[in-house]
Amino acid sequence: MTSPGSSELRGNPYFWYRLMGRDEEGYDVYELFIGPQHPASGHMRIIVRLDGDIIVDAEPDIGYVHRTMEKLAEGREYLKNIPLFERATIIDAANITWGYVRAVEQLLGLEAPPRAEYLRTLLAEINRIASHLYGFGIAGIMLNHSTMFMWAFGDREVWVQLAEDLTGARLTHSYIIPGGVRRNLPQDFKEKALKAIRYMEKRLQDYERIFVKNPVIIARYVDVGVIKAEEAKRLGIVGPNLRAAGVRYDARIAEEYGAYPELDFEIPTREEGDAMARLLVRIEEIKQSMSMIKQILDKIPDGPIFHEKYYRMLPPKLKEFVEQTGRLKLPGAFIRLKPEPGEAVARVEMGHGEVFYHIVSDGGIKPYRVRIVTPAFRNVVLYRYLTRGARFMDLPAIYGSIDYFPPEGDR
Amino acid sequence: MAPQPLDRVVEFILSPHIFAPLIYPGLLAAMLVLLTLIWAERKMTAKVQLRYGPLYVLKPLGGIIQLIADAIKFMFQEPILPRKADKWVFVLAPITMMAFTIIPFAFIPAAPGFVGVDLEYSLPLVLSLSALVPPLILATSWAANNKFTLLGGVREAFMMVAYETSLFIAAFAIATYYGTLSLSKIVEAQTVPGIVLNPIAAAIFFVAMLMTASKLPYDIVEGEQEIVAGPFTEYSGILYMLVMGASYMELYVLSLVFVELFLGGWKPVIPALASIHPAFQGIALFIKAYLVLLFAVFLRSVYARYRLDQALEIGWKKLFPLSLISVVWSLILLVITGGA
Repeated sequence: MTSPGSSELRGNPYFWYRLMGRDEEGYDVYELFIGPQHPASGHMRIIVRLDGDIIVDAEPDIGYVHRTMEKLAEGREYLKNIPLFERATIIDAANITWGYVRAVEQLLGLEAPPRAEYLRTLLAEINRIASHLYGFGIAGIMLNHSTMFMWAFGDREVWVQLAEDLTGARLTHSYIIPGGVRRNLPQDFKEKALKAIRYMEKRLQDYERIFVKNPVIIARYVDVGVIKAEEAKRLGIVGPNLRAAGVRYDARIAEEYGAYPELDFEIPTREEGDAMARLLVRIEEIKQSMSMIKQILDKIPDGPIFHEKYYRMLPPKLKEFVEQTGRLKLPGAFIRLKPEPGEAVARVEMGHGEVFYHIVSDGGIKPYRVRIVTPAFRNVVLYRYLTRGARFMDLPAIYGSIDYFPPEGDR
Repeated sequence: MAPQPLDRVVEFILSPHIFAPLIYPGLLAAMLVLLTLIWAERKMTAKVQLRYGPLYVLKPLGGIIQLIADAIKFMFQEPILPRKADKWVFVLAPITMMAFTIIPFAFIPAAPGFVGVDLEYSLPLVLSLSALVPPLILATSWAANNKFTLLGGVREAFMMVAYETSLFIAAFAIATYYGTLSLSKIVEAQTVPGIVLNPIAAAIFFVAMLMTASKLPYDIVEGEQEIVAGPFTEYSGILYMLVMGASYMELYVLSLVFVELFLGGWKPVIPALASIHPAFQGIALFIKAYLVLLFAVFLRSVYARYRLDQALEIGWKKLFPLSLISVVWSLILLVITGGA
């Protein structure tokens, strides 16, 4: 230990900076701990260092809602992990479990029948719209635009209701299981879905009038939190945040899973990479998802919704029940699924971006290891890179625009 | 017969010197405005946002006394004094703040010849009394000794200098045309509403009014998403009620001034009402001021919040030059028409 007055320290600029209450780079910084007890921090903390009104550094401090999901998964049978993982992103439950199911199917050597793949895609797109609307609402309230918040959350109810009609549950559907899906399409679903789409198209125009083209929103969003394509690729950003920077990457195209190869859809991208671009990409994705839902309902093939291998195990009475109601009953052996020893990886495009699963099986009834890389976790780095040099009041604008979902990041 | 003591008390209360500051447009009317305006704001916003808004307190009237319930709750809540706060300033600043928003009622004329204290310079007096509030907000933010309140105080300081200048110049622009600084004389002189004569000044006054009361899109000082509640972060209980009420009171005072400067004040007068009590002739003033208030709070469901630097830019680069132009425009009008 050298005393503060010793001669060797006096030659060191840090010494003088410290004495003047400045940090290593000579900034006179004002440190602010935003969260976890803060009206707009979410389940996380952002440590912001301010130089006047300019953010010198913003450090996302996550982990407040860490639930050890990967470890919990090692103690549960393969099927029971589905309800666990959908709680990571409860607003996008279909997409986050689909990745897991795809990896398990690879281990089991199963493939879902075409009708089941279509139904999975249908629910995934409904979830994507609901997830984007959730992000939309948060983006609104972050700028204190309470109308956008209420509208987006209110209209999200339409899609949550649609998901309930399809699966029987509002949020935690547990719909996608290895080998198929748990329910067949209800008879009046098509009319309900088309009605929802017509409603949403009208509402998107309302959104445009009150939010997207609002002069205050334009002032707050254009050229705020800019990230360019090269930088976004280097940081490993995924999802709409990446596409808003001009990189045309989407797991739905890269992986060609589900019914996506047979659907006609576009991957919206923008070049600007600012908060406004991220918002517009999400709106465009909602439109694409609605067009996909229409196509799915027109094209959906007839046939079984569950893999023949396991369907055969059902007793005749249960088979009759499934035929009549369209609700699947699982055979008893299904809980003791035993994949061959080995490894599998799968990725799926969620509303927030690409989710990646790596499952290691040791031949038992429980996975040896499940690794999840969630899109929110990959995007959290944006807090640091987008806010540097921005104004302090840009922080909530950037927060809202990157659609970060803390429980998903923390798992 | 000599007047009875009770009559004298009634007469005393009904005299303008007491009636104006205490009943209308003063304390009682202000409390009524506070009560119904916040309710109306929440109801309107709820209507736009497809919700119900306040509902259960006095359900037949749509929850209109919700604010009374809230006030009772605040009264009996424990007011928490932060250990490191400067306690005297922390407690006294909100009370003084409320006082400075109430004193102007003594000088604002409510009806023809009906005013607590009739002054030649009531306009600058009312404006400067309301300009005493921001320094007190600054004091609370320093006294609370909290990082968020300090940032809120700095924002208030920046905003204050940005809007206060334009507010004063816009008010004086229209006063220049009428050739008087007395609010009652300005209203008497208005045959054509001031907003028609000098729309620029009216627009500037209105925008500056929103900034003063920190209403959307300029609710920067209380920016919840960044600094929790700005200078008022540490307040709770009755002190919190005071600081929140003060901004609405300020808005009410300024909207009364706005109506008297630009919307013809208490005109048209209904003479039949004068026989009940002279103050009733000011009913048009109250209705107009209330409509202005409703419009000001309705903006909440349309706009988001501007950034601090953007609001300052609006204040200095747009409002300030425009307010100078409005003075020039008033002078040109004066030359053309020969004055009011």
